[in-house]
Amino acid sequence: MFHRVLCASLAAVTITATAQAQLKIVTSTTDLADIAKEVGGSKVRVSHVSEGYQDPHYAEAKPSFILQMRKADVFAFVGLDLEIGWMSLLVDGSRNSKIRPGGSGSVDVSQAINVLDRARGPVDRSQGDVHPLGNPHYWLDPENGRRIARLFARKFSELDPKNAAAYETNRKAFEDRLNAAEVAWQQQLATIKNKPVVAYHTSWKYLAEYTGMNIVGFMEPKPGVPPSPSHLAGLILQMKRTGAKIIIMEPFYNRKDADFVASKTGAKVVILPPSVGGLRNQKIEDYIALMKYDIGLVADSLR
Amino acid sequence: MKRVIIVATLLAGVAAQLGAQQPDSVRARQIRDSIELVRELERMRGDTTRRAMGPQLPPINPRLMPDLSAIADIVGDLSPKGSTQEDATRFAVREVELAIAANVDPYFRADFILGLSDEEGIAIEEAYGTALALPWQLQARIGRFHMPVGKQNTTHRAELHTLEYPYVIQRFLGAEGLKGTGLWISKILAPFGFYQELQVTAVDRFGEADENLLTENPPNKDLAGLGLSARLRNYWDFSESTNLELSASAITGKREQPFNFRLTPPAPDVNAVLARQALYGADLTFRWRPLQQGLYKSFIAQAEFIRQLNARDADPDYLGPSRDFSGAYGFARWQVSRRLHVGGRYDWLEDPELAGETFTAGSGYLEWFPSEFSKLVLAYEHAMPKGVTATNRILLQATFAVGPHRPHPF
Repeated sequence: MFHRVLCASLAAVTITATAQAQLKIVTSTTDLADIAKEVGGSKVRVSHVSEGYQDPHYAEAKPSFILQMRKADVFAFVGLDLEIGWMSLLVDGSRNSKIRPGGSGSVDVSQAINVLDRARGPVDRSQGDVHPLGNPHYWLDPENGRRIARLFARKFSELDPKNAAAYETNRKAFEDRLNAAEVAWQQQLATIKNKPVVAYHTSWKYLAEYTGMNIVGFMEPKPGVPPSPSHLAGLILQMKRTGAKIIIMEPFYNRKDADFVASKTGAKVVILPPSVGGLRNQKIEDYIALMKYDIGLVADSLR
Repeated sequence: MKRVIIVATLLAGVAAQLGAQQPDSVRARQIRDSIELVRELERMRGDTTRRAMGPQLPPINPRLMPDLSAIADIVGDLSPKGSTQEDATRFAVREVELAIAANVDPYFRADFILGLSDEEGIAIEEAYGTALALPWQLQARIGRFHMPVGKQNTTHRAELHTLEYPYVIQRFLGAEGLKGTGLWISKILAPFGFYQELQVTAVDRFGEADENLLTENPPNKDLAGLGLSARLRNYWDFSESTNLELSASAITGKREQPFNFRLTPPAPDVNAVLARQALYGADLTFRWRPLQQGLYKSFIAQAEFIRQLNARDADPDYLGPSRDFSGAYGFARWQVSRRLHVGGRYDWLEDPELAGETFTAGSGYLEWFPSEFSKLVLAYEHAMPKGVTATNRILLQATFAVGPHRPHPF
């Protein structure tokens, strides 16, 4: 009996010590969370704010997230104003100076990315819900997945130098698996290349850049502005003219308008998860699985 | 680059020294190794440059300009028996709110909100610095702020789901809510695993001074006359879509109450005395928002109860309140589509303006959001003060926000 109690106590102490030694990472999205787990392995504890099946811009600043963030060593976010609707409330509310802008644990991941759609001239909201700093949906290009992993490996090593070798090993293993996956889906990329498609929102531009698919129109007349009848009429003509056969959209948008356009053009509506865990009825549990699923589904839909 | 050149030179020097003493095959291998090392250093240098600089981007805010934003709050009153607005206008710019915010330094953030209106001219709605680097995870504000008393009082009027504050807030705290100038300190507690936050304030006085009342001494002459408040917030997630917030608030301080000094006031024009007033209350907010359909569906239900306690003076010349008052409201809002919300509110209170007679009102709201930055509201209200004729009000509101995207209120 005494031995059991002693073993249980030692185990509890060990578990507590391990938990305390782990870097506590909070990310804004599931994609960043997954890559952080890949790089950090057992040396980190990761949680995230928005779910893969929700629009990350509209995540809510629930006080329960403040409890997570007040003890975080790192808060990694997509940046480019994607989280502008809630992030400052949580970061300020957490009273954690490590994760405030300029703090050692504040990681604006967009700083490691060559972003698309950066405004080159004056912008205002007559252009819709624009992101003047650039398009924030960059994780949908595997090259950016690699950049994120490298950024995390550097940051985790900086904060936890004794485990730097482990972070580097994990980062390399992740990149190796991603490289292998890229080789495996080359044939699917060949199917997609140059094919005209319509997207609901500008979130698919990085995927288009990577796969070579040609986005000929958007369901939204301007970013963040729901489709109007006149815009849809123009889009239907555009799809007929260009031969676009699929409409890709996120699971959190209402598909009614897309179904209408599809019915008029013979196109197919393809619900693509934009993030890890993006479909509630499918297990898309990691970043590589996400890319594989999206590329596979687009290719299959275009065959 | 300098480092690479130095290393390359050193390596070349070492290679030359060694070369003088060693056979050709060894020398050749050493040179190959040196070249390989220089290439590796160059690769490292390349990586370091990318790491340090990231993509070549211009600075985002080179002049360190603060965030500047404005909200216009325009109200129309189409009530059948005449405008019910204070200045009897049918259409008015009720207020333009200018907000300036920026980090001051690594320790403070500053927020200034100025209210511009025809009636009040320019008023400092809020102006406070928030200390961000306090120990023990404390947070403090110093300056003027909306008092953390009750739920809706901390929301600016233009950002309410309804056109006006609930009547219990209007009557007990003020038509534009209760503000205070002083010190605000908050601490997050989670001893039971859920979110709790304690907010306490000490402010110059409880509420705004009544322009028609003058006391011999200001309420803050003694420290005991300062306004003091406390609020305990409790928050639970029931599921990823539903959550509940239950809070309790209290505030106390001295306020001016009318007194009939007849012909012998203690000083010229004095017509009031100071009497302690305290409020305590509780508020409950339930939210439902399914994450995947969150753009299109949501529901919020809210209720708040406040009781006002008034110190009584037995002097027959004391004209202040001779009793305590209670009030409450219940509010619900349903999101019908991405842009459209419908809501309703029921108000009940023992109205101090009607000597404690019951005042009830029911109102309905139709809110249309063309975007996150504009809002159009149509409201109907049926008010039933006891002993007074019932009134019907038809109100319109348009709000327009410009400037940086503000956080969504939660």
